[in-house]
Amino acid sequence: MVSRGIMSNTEWRSLTGRLLHVFYLVVLVLVSVVVIFPFLFSFTAGLHNSIDIVKPGFHLWPEKPLWGNYWDAWQRFGMSKLFTNTFIVAGGGVLARLAVSALAAYSLSRLKPIGKNVIRALLLITMAVPWVAYLVPRYAIMADMGLLNNFFGLWIPYAADSFMILVLTNSFDQIPKDLYEAAQLDGASDIRMFFSITLPLSYSVLLVLGLFAFIGFWGDFLWPFLVLRDSSLQTISVRLYTETRGFSLNLFLAASFIAMVPPAIAAFFLQRQAPKGGLTF
Amino acid sequence: MTATMTVHTAATSVKKTARRRINWQKQGLAYLFLLPALAIFTLVTWYPILNTIVYSFQKVNISGFQGWVGFSNYVRMFGNPLFYTAWQNILTYIILSLLMGFMVPLVLALMINEMRGQSSLFQLIVYLPTLIPIAVALIVWRQIYAPSGGILNSLIGFLNIEPQLWLQNPALAKPSLIVIMTWVGAGGATLLYLYALREIPTDLFEAAELDGFSVLQRIWYIALPLMRTRIQIMLVIQVISVAQVFTEPFILTKGGPVNSTMSPVMQIYDAAFTRYDFGLASAWGVSMLVALSLFSILYVILTREDLSKG
Repeated sequence: MVSRGIMSNTEWRSLTGRLLHVFYLVVLVLVSVVVIFPFLFSFTAGLHNSIDIVKPGFHLWPEKPLWGNYWDAWQRFGMSKLFTNTFIVAGGGVLARLAVSALAAYSLSRLKPIGKNVIRALLLITMAVPWVAYLVPRYAIMADMGLLNNFFGLWIPYAADSFMILVLTNSFDQIPKDLYEAAQLDGASDIRMFFSITLPLSYSVLLVLGLFAFIGFWGDFLWPFLVLRDSSLQTISVRLYTETRGFSLNLFLAASFIAMVPPAIAAFFLQRQAPKGGLTF
Repeated sequence: MTATMTVHTAATSVKKTARRRINWQKQGLAYLFLLPALAIFTLVTWYPILNTIVYSFQKVNISGFQGWVGFSNYVRMFGNPLFYTAWQNILTYIILSLLMGFMVPLVLALMINEMRGQSSLFQLIVYLPTLIPIAVALIVWRQIYAPSGGILNSLIGFLNIEPQLWLQNPALAKPSLIVIMTWVGAGGATLLYLYALREIPTDLFEAAELDGFSVLQRIWYIALPLMRTRIQIMLVIQVISVAQVFTEPFILTKGGPVNSTMSPVMQIYDAAFTRYDFGLASAWGVSMLVALSLFSILYVILTREDLSKG
């Protein structure tokens, strides 16, 4: 895959290289176990019965795995509703953020607006200021606009992301000017060029940024927790926190595991797309 | 002669007016494309940032403005012993998280980069925790840290260590939360370091190897200096994100035991959404703005020398 690392391939095959390889492998496998353990734990805990799960001692795999717990958790937590809500919130957020950012980035990259540097500076400032510092006035504005208990109360703040605008501006800058000039000779307008040149050529970057945003929105906690007080609108991570009925621990952990699946699937696509998107830091 | 000059001026003026006319059209279009972003940023970031400062001088709650109160919100904030506790906690959080977590992604990246065939597998594994909804992951971590029947206490039981109250003992609560934060955050940083390592031209390592540099020397004299800017950026990002810690203590400890995990953002939340005192919450918000800009200034001063060297 990589032609050489810090060590060359010959060195890697020598005795010291092999010893080092084993050492690295042991460390990485141990780290992987620690990293994966909480997932594994919630998966197998979801298979226990409600009494075994609270017994002290280390018993990862149950004597009799209760696969039915997952179906039980799915139904009793109303997972279909929670998944629908979370998909609407995260999907709408991704579309809003991509649309707003791509339009702004096209302008900054191609249309040379007066005051471009001021706009860039203002965008950079919002990256440096943590949003929790101005959480309260933002909440008050959303409340004034009647957007509490409303998905727009999430989509609108989700649409504002200066990082995405700046990354897209950079990536739009890389598109060869000749393409635009040729299109202009054919009489294409900027709106036309935006849709038929810029967007198709930035497909990979848009997909990678979109997947990252999706994963982030799926697991977002504080803002949806504040905005969506109505339990029928809540997203999955908010609901699992606010759910106060006495579910037994095994069902709770089965539900937690179910909630982890969609971002893991998104990550699988991300892993395949990220190199093509050329997204580095 | 005169004729050519006239033609010349005419041509320039045509060009000038033409350029100006196109400019106006283009500017209109440029701002039309920018309009959604400008409107939304004004609504959810720029205006709220200014309003945080305004609110901090007001009595204000969910039903709106109740009157100007001068510095009274600040007097109440500074008069509350929790102000000092929360910011001291943040300082400890930052130091602990740098000691316990800052080197982890760097070491992982150096190791994963050397793994040839298996590197993409490990890359995916270390990134997994970043993907998981934090509120959900914390439900699982609560069971790991549970005092009786918890997995961690069972594990250390094999080593004949007494069970510990991981989240209920003031001495252990902060480090226990830092372990979770490192677990969540290390993957993203590892990926960025990996990208940085892969950008380094391999001839550099080859040349160093021929000159008899050991592996450690190659890491120390080539890899780390070339990754320095990113390491510095990650340091800043880590400090800024640890200063905003909220979800972990909110869900696991509620700021306890004896306020040992209390953080400024938890105080903002508490003032705004349990006491509906938006003015006080905004004073806390301003304290956060000031603290983080002081940190940024300090960072710029400390690194200015490095930057001027290129």
